[in-house]
Amino acid sequence: MKLLKLGLRFWITVTSIISFLAGWILLAHAPKPNQSNSLASDAAAPLPTLEPLQPLSDFQPGDNTFQNQPTFGFQRRNQSRPFFSTGGS
Amino acid sequence: MIRSIEFRAMNTTVMLAAEGELAIEGMHAAKSFIDECEQRFSRFLPASEVTELNRSAGQWLTVSDDLMEMLQLSVKYHRETHGIFDPSILPDLKRAGYDRSMDDIRANGGVSHSPVSTRPSRPAFHDMSLDLADKSVRLPYGLEIDLGGIAKGWIVEKAANLLHQYVDVCGVSAGGDILFIGQPSDGMDWDVYLEDPRNPMQMLAQLHIPSEAVATSSIMKRSWSHGERVQHHLIDPRTGEPAETQWLSVTVICPCIIEADVYAKVLLIGGSRETSKLIGASSNATFIAVDSRGNLVGSSNYKDYVYESATDVFVSTCITS
Repeated sequence: MKLLKLGLRFWITVTSIISFLAGWILLAHAPKPNQSNSLASDAAAPLPTLEPLQPLSDFQPGDNTFQNQPTFGFQRRNQSRPFFSTGGS
Repeated sequence: MIRSIEFRAMNTTVMLAAEGELAIEGMHAAKSFIDECEQRFSRFLPASEVTELNRSAGQWLTVSDDLMEMLQLSVKYHRETHGIFDPSILPDLKRAGYDRSMDDIRANGGVSHSPVSTRPSRPAFHDMSLDLADKSVRLPYGLEIDLGGIAKGWIVEKAANLLHQYVDVCGVSAGGDILFIGQPSDGMDWDVYLEDPRNPMQMLAQLHIPSEAVATSSIMKRSWSHGERVQHHLIDPRTGEPAETQWLSVTVICPCIIEADVYAKVLLIGGSRETSKLIGASSNATFIAVDSRGNLVGSSNYKDYVYESATDVFVSTCITS
């Protein structure tokens, strides 16, 4: 019985050490996060090129550049005509 | 195809539209005319004819045919509107803080720093003397005039007639005071969008206008802070103060742009109690008023011009009798 216990402890210790070393070796040889997979790289979409933003200093107080386009609560009859609006000046 | 150009003049946006082979040439001629008129009739320019007239109060001054025509029209509408149209409210306008151009006030954050003062006594507009034979005018001492209430309509009319010499179909708009001549070749009337005075980027209705004029007056566009009050440019000559109006804006549709321009202001100042009396003098005019909730009210035939209105806008007819 005593011999059986000793053998069991030895077996658990040895398999633990082997498992630990195997895991170490596996992780040491795995690709690092910043090394992209070549297949994934080929599939990635190219990044869009963005125009630089207009600096805020270019806008004057009262400038209506930021205002929305006119909004309508109805269907415009003829969109190709010049846009005449009346509301006082 | 209708061509159009847009530019800034008279402290507002001007748009010219024309259909025809000579549209571009005509619009350039009309633009030059409008730019020249601004130099002649602005009260803010020290070299203008109006400024010279105000400086010469107390003595006779020979004026141009154009200025004489505007002064004669002013006298006519002053009488016709029982004094509500009054170009001599300039001292009251300045007292309310409108002592420089609206573009200058806006550049100053919409604040006027002119001193707050009480209303001094001054001569009446009908004290002005016109000598038609000698083409001269005499303003009594203390009388200053501002033709802002009529000059824009007059300039739009002249510019449209000038443009009409180049093309058969055209439209001229100065800050929403619009005159159309002729019908576009597609057979449809002109489209004009009625702005919500509470938010000019929101359109309340689409109007279809034949070869006629449209003008709108609003208390919301030319407003500024003065002292502890928010003021606007529509002076009630009966009080000398910015008018306390029943509506936020009034639009008038009629054949003559000068009449539309004058009556839009007069009806806004006069309100519904004065409407029947005032609109009676201008039998061809149709009016549309916008109240503080954005609802439309107008004369009995105004719905004839409304092609479509926003779904949440309530439209009703004004009882003027």
